[in-house]
Amino acid sequence: MAGPFDTAVENAWCPGCGNFPILTAVKKALELTGKAKHEIVLVSGIGQAAKLPHHVDANVFNGLHGRALPAALAIKMANPSLTVVVTSGDGDIYGEGGNHFVHNIRRNPDIAVFVHDNQVYGLTKGQPSPTSDPGWTGSLQRSGVISGPFPPLAVAVALGCGFVARALASDVEHTAELMGQAIAHKGFALVDILQPCVTFNKKNTYQWYGKMVYKVPADHDPTDRQKAFALSLEWEERIPVGVLYRLARPSFEEVHPGVGEPPLHARETPQEAVRELIRKRVLALP
Amino acid sequence: MEVDINIRITGGAGQGVHTVGGLISRMAVAAGHHFHATQDYMSRIRGGRNSYSIRVMDVPVRAGRAAADILLALDPDHLPHFLPDVELSGLVLADPVQGGSSAGATTAPLKELAVSAGSPILGNMVGTGIVAHALGVPLDTVDRLLALEFRGDFLEKNRKAVRLGAGWAEGRIPGGFRLPRAEFRPRLILAGNEALALGAVAGGCKFAAGYPMTPGSSILLGLSADGPPLGLAFEQAEDEIAALNMAIGASYAGARAMVATSGGGFALMVEALSLAGMMETPVVIALGMRPGPATGMPTRTGQEDLSFALSAGHGEFPRLVLAPGSVEEAYGLAFHAMELAEAYQVPCILLTDQYLGDTVVDVDPEALEVLPVRRRIVRGAGVPRNGEGRYLRYAVTPDGISPMAVPGEPGVTVVADSDEHGEDGHLTEDHGIRLRMVEKRLRKGEGLAAETLPPLIAGPPDGEAALIGFGSTKGPVAEAREILAREGFAVAAVHLRQMWPFPSGAMEGILSRYGTALTVENNRTGQLARLIRAETGREVGGTVSRCDGLPFTPEGLAKEVRERLWPDRSIRR
Repeated sequence: MAGPFDTAVENAWCPGCGNFPILTAVKKALELTGKAKHEIVLVSGIGQAAKLPHHVDANVFNGLHGRALPAALAIKMANPSLTVVVTSGDGDIYGEGGNHFVHNIRRNPDIAVFVHDNQVYGLTKGQPSPTSDPGWTGSLQRSGVISGPFPPLAVAVALGCGFVARALASDVEHTAELMGQAIAHKGFALVDILQPCVTFNKKNTYQWYGKMVYKVPADHDPTDRQKAFALSLEWEERIPVGVLYRLARPSFEEVHPGVGEPPLHARETPQEAVRELIRKRVLALP
Repeated sequence: MEVDINIRITGGAGQGVHTVGGLISRMAVAAGHHFHATQDYMSRIRGGRNSYSIRVMDVPVRAGRAAADILLALDPDHLPHFLPDVELSGLVLADPVQGGSSAGATTAPLKELAVSAGSPILGNMVGTGIVAHALGVPLDTVDRLLALEFRGDFLEKNRKAVRLGAGWAEGRIPGGFRLPRAEFRPRLILAGNEALALGAVAGGCKFAAGYPMTPGSSILLGLSADGPPLGLAFEQAEDEIAALNMAIGASYAGARAMVATSGGGFALMVEALSLAGMMETPVVIALGMRPGPATGMPTRTGQEDLSFALSAGHGEFPRLVLAPGSVEEAYGLAFHAMELAEAYQVPCILLTDQYLGDTVVDVDPEALEVLPVRRRIVRGAGVPRNGEGRYLRYAVTPDGISPMAVPGEPGVTVVADSDEHGEDGHLTEDHGIRLRMVEKRLRKGEGLAAETLPPLIAGPPDGEAALIGFGSTKGPVAEAREILAREGFAVAAVHLRQMWPFPSGAMEGILSRYGTALTVENNRTGQLARLIRAETGREVGGTVSRCDGLPFTPEGLAKEVRERLWPDRSIRR
């Protein structure tokens, strides 16, 4: 059945890839927003996950590896009425783009960021990502990963990210629901999506996740930062999915004096205003 | 030209060198004259050995001079460093050195009078009073200028210090530096980087981002100060990579966008430069060059990044590289860059450097042309659709320029990709589409080339020699040429303000009309000479190079050219 956001672009993902259910969830979440396709911009970097925007009929900015967030920030600044969604991989957002991840949580632009977290670099054929478990062997780490894993949710909670959630790709309904809440949240909203890589990650499989994952208990208070932080660090024994943390903060667009109506593309440059800038530099003796 | 007085203020960072320099520059304008001020400063927050040189003339001034007529040393310990660059007839003013020698200086009690005026930090204002007296600038003029800068109690203390300085100078300071009275005309006081930012704002820049790096930071300062009243949104980026990716994002969303940086920051932007080429997003990059490699000399001047700017970015795409040579050109070419970047949907690099960026001059207010901004974005019924009713961001056209719509346009989606893509913007691995897109992008370069700004020639249309420079060397080269012309040498000054597309035809004509040509470059390897060879197939006769971190001076340049080209010929006096 064709949906409003379907495209005819040829798909390059492996059969059984976790990107397929994520794509379904993204389209469902966009339908929930009630927005028209011209009001939505999907932004991504490079990688198999970053190809997702090509399969959604909306505005697309498929930029450089690691650089989705700076572009998304500026698109939102240029036109705050656009719904800006970043959808890209763990290597893209947490690795190459780690600096932008940190600083855009600080800025708090009203963008939703969906990270396809499969703990592996798939498109380059099987190297570890920042979230790979120690000991995991990749094509460039034959004796196993030495570095500790990057904890995206703990980092987000520590930085005061206003919406921090984790989803499991195979649970499309729950993922779409979390994505919808992330888009509705006014500020930087992170959804880290556990995504099996059927080709290169033989450890973190659908079966493995099935055993490990549990839903955040209904009585969890997402505004309790300490509890959220503790939940965000759970991984070895079991892995919570759902909304871990919420914090009410003004969004970047609300506080940046240069951002707002009209959008930047519609702002005029009156010649008289330029002349005034010149005039005020003329030395006139009082 | 009757008046030509070079005044140098020296001292540590924090001693008020800049304030005095600005005041004396304004005194010159108030007296109906013109000035050219340059700065030389060290990379630190306090202390060091900095100088501010103001050359005052009765005609507009285009370059600084090495030798000072008046040296005001706010820190007497700096005298040994600055004394060699003082004219024999020059006036040197400094406090007595405790237990040392002030040989060569008129000892002036700057600190002592400053304390009487209310604070030891007012030594700079005591010095200002002495210089004002030497130049014959009336004290009420200085009072009025001070009122533009200071208020209240602090204003009164400054005025008192100036009066004490002027009073002390009475009868002690020779009158050989008096500025003749001339009619006061309102003049614009403007620095190179400030003018560049102003030109970009006048050119409709609505988004700017950057990470501070000398000498690009003062462009960011200008954009963040002058931009917001005209609707510009500014953001300090977490790094230069973010800065250019942000500007490209804003440009995709329809804003004219700009970044400013120096060589090291530009190096970080290079991947995004290529993205702008591929996505065909207009963007302007101001590259404030400084001596490298690596961190190099952060606060000094150089032109070492010409080849880098021309070739930066993986893959092949058209670009525009402009090199303003004066404060007026910085304004005009920044406007031009904004217009052409959008017209051709290409990245444009504006080459500047510390020398031009920090140069302050007085400018005729009418010299800055205020032109209407011509937006090229398609909207509403103007958005073209294909047979299926879809807008194609990368529609193949005869001139390679695809109509640019922006996200948010009702009924339209805009797809932009860093991968090779079809007309619809979606990624493709089809070799036939690839070929058509390569050709489409490069066709824009042909249109861009047809609009190339030709070199500017000063002096005879043909003759013995041509001195060819680009960017900030314009003033020193022009004045060196005048010195040589007065000495009887038939020499022309050629100034390149556009480096790419290169004005090959015009340059071939120039090279055929002069006996020989030398390039004048603030680099060691002759990057302009190499560019001329690559683009015209002709060799120049050599390169006058300066790469010590300082700008060319007219007299130094004239001397070197004379020795290189006419070692045996006597000078006609």
